[in-house]
Amino acid sequence: MKTISITSVPGYDEWRIASRACLAQSIPPEEIIWQSSQSIQDDLFGDNGQTTKVYEPKATHSIPKSVLALFKYALCHKDASRFALCYRVLWRVIFENRNLIQLKTDNDILRLNALVKAVKRDAYKMSAFLRFRKLVIEEQEHFVAWYEPEHFSLEIKLNFFQTRFKNMRWSILTPYRAAHWDTENLTLGDNPDSSAYPDDDQIEKYWLTYYANIFNPARIKKSAMLSSMPKKYWKNMPETALIEDMINKSNARARKMILDGKKS
Amino acid sequence: MQDKLIQKLEILSDAAKYDASCASGSAGKRKAGKTDKTGIGSLTGGSGICHSFTPDGRCVSLLKILMTNYCIYDCHYCINRVSSSVRRARFTVKETVDLTLNFYKRNYIEGLFLSSGIVGSPDLTMESMVRIAKSLRIDHGFKGYIHLKTIPNASPELQTEAGLYADRLSINVEMPTQPSLNKYAPEKDLGAIHGSMNTLKDKIAEHKADKSYSGKRPPSFAPGGQSTQMIVGADDSSDKIILKTSVNLYKQQKLRRVYYSAFSPIPDASEVLPLKPAPLMREHRLYQADWLLRFYGFNLDEILQNDMLDMEHDPKLAWALRNRHVFPIDLNKADKQLLLRVPGLGARTVQKILAIRRYTKLSWVDLTKMRLPLQKLKPFISVSDYLPAIHLLDSAHFELQFKQPKQFELFAT
Ligand code: SF4
Repeated sequence: MKTISITSVPGYDEWRIASRACLAQSIPPEEIIWQSSQSIQDDLFGDNGQTTKVYEPKATHSIPKSVLALFKYALCHKDASRFALCYRVLWRVIFENRNLIQLKTDNDILRLNALVKAVKRDAYKMSAFLRFRKLVIEEQEHFVAWYEPEHFSLEIKLNFFQTRFKNMRWSILTPYRAAHWDTENLTLGDNPDSSAYPDDDQIEKYWLTYYANIFNPARIKKSAMLSSMPKKYWKNMPETALIEDMINKSNARARKMILDGKKS
Repeated sequence: MQDKLIQKLEILSDAAKYDASCASGSAGKRKAGKTDKTGIGSLTGGSGICHSFTPDGRCVSLLKILMTNYCIYDCHYCINRVSSSVRRARFTVKETVDLTLNFYKRNYIEGLFLSSGIVGSPDLTMESMVRIAKSLRIDHGFKGYIHLKTIPNASPELQTEAGLYADRLSINVEMPTQPSLNKYAPEKDLGAIHGSMNTLKDKIAEHKADKSYSGKRPPSFAPGGQSTQMIVGADDSSDKIILKTSVNLYKQQKLRRVYYSAFSPIPDASEVLPLKPAPLMREHRLYQADWLLRFYGFNLDEILQNDMLDMEHDPKLAWALRNRHVFPIDLNKADKQLLLRVPGLGARTVQKILAIRRYTKLSWVDLTKMRLPLQKLKPFISVSDYLPAIHLLDSAHFELQFKQPKQFELFAT
């Protein structure tokens, strides 16, 4: 048995280096225990001897790009079994079937695709639901966001934010990592402090006003809203504080629309 | 001063909510170039991001507002018509531009969807709208999405200029027939609306064609195309008339999207209007039918048996129930066109099935793993180890199993 510890999150680079090393030594998936810093406490095989230091050998196996692209997403999932799963798929692609990922009903592939899908969705939600607040530091505008993704989605979306807000200075803080952009360079830092997120923003009240007025009280469809915007994301979005009140008052508002209509 | 802006925003976003289109359409990709030191925004390709959802289940993607809700026209279904006693407000060009940029920088929106009541004259109104779009693009290097609702009867020059700055242009046909327009929107003329669509269609085609031979990229012209909206259930037009109109618009005017908006009572409504809202289910069925016409290879006659769509079953299921002899369909053999006709199989699932089929034969277990709606699919399909009991399709009670629980009344009075 070999134990490999992944110490960073999401851990893609470490996993890649370790996997190459294991492949080079032809270590089958069943003989590796993958440990990650987020799961060490609940690992049943924890005291199974010392961890092996990994090294990076020359690449010997060519892996289809499409497979690596899936791993990039899957390894951003918070499920600690992701490392073992990806290594197993890697192994099977090399020694069993190069077209393995086409077998969409294979159990490993189903699981892999489920992880990919969850991360993609979470990353999309991050690009949608993250809210910046403006700070002025030494007469320069700086936009700061605090966002709690479900998975390690920040790394997936960095490119998006750099492109869209290229000429803005911004910081995105998540519970595990911060990204800072100064219009040219990106810096990353671990375990940021959420108190750096400003309490308010002068534009936010306009946003709340807009949100409260753009909806049609005669057409409440709460379940449709919840399936697209599950409650777990609400803490990131100031407008969600209005929802309960909007729903409670909707009946009265819609009734008023009709009554007003009858009057004229 | 600031509170005044809040008030305006209240009035002018409230007035915009009756427009059904919300998400941004796809208008390709765009971003600030390397040397661009001031521009802001991007288009990521595909339809825009939904930045929030309101309790009516709709996506908030754009700052959707009216420039003003003053209007000199008197369309009965519209809360802004001249004879309505609604509170009025008007944004300045600068206010609209600033609000858009401020919202965009905080990641609230993908861009701006601007429509307007008609102040002064159609041309004066259109001119201000174009100035807003121009200022965003030229003064601020805005790369986000802009949708302008062009003003009926505005000059072709202004409509053409709008296309230089907007990603999408739309003009609402509102009602499928001229008699209905006469009754509900007396100042509007179907011929003029089509004329304006036609002008824009030609411009869009011209700019697209340019790309192929000129070395330099021409300025883009409404890359997201045109869309329109029809109000359903205010007049007495049947689903058949509405869908016929849509098919025409898709074909002749090359529209990207026709939106259907179930008539919903507005405050201070005019006497000519019905007091009750049109059922949302009708709107829903029209969208489903529209989808089948555009992406599933159905034609109008197949979908409609008589003047109205079946409320009980979705149009695809209704078709299948009328055409039981086609089923069961073998998922391992049927071609794409046929697979698309199976109730319960969407376009994406069909794609998946075709991909899997190249490597392996589909069995029942595979279907369960793919999490397909098996209950619905069961009678209509076969796979390597499953064939539906033939009496299923023949049974007179067959339809009953698809009966949906009654839609709860959204607005019980
Ligand atoms: S022209 Fe537009 S804003 Fe004016 S009344 Fe008609 S629909 Fe309403």
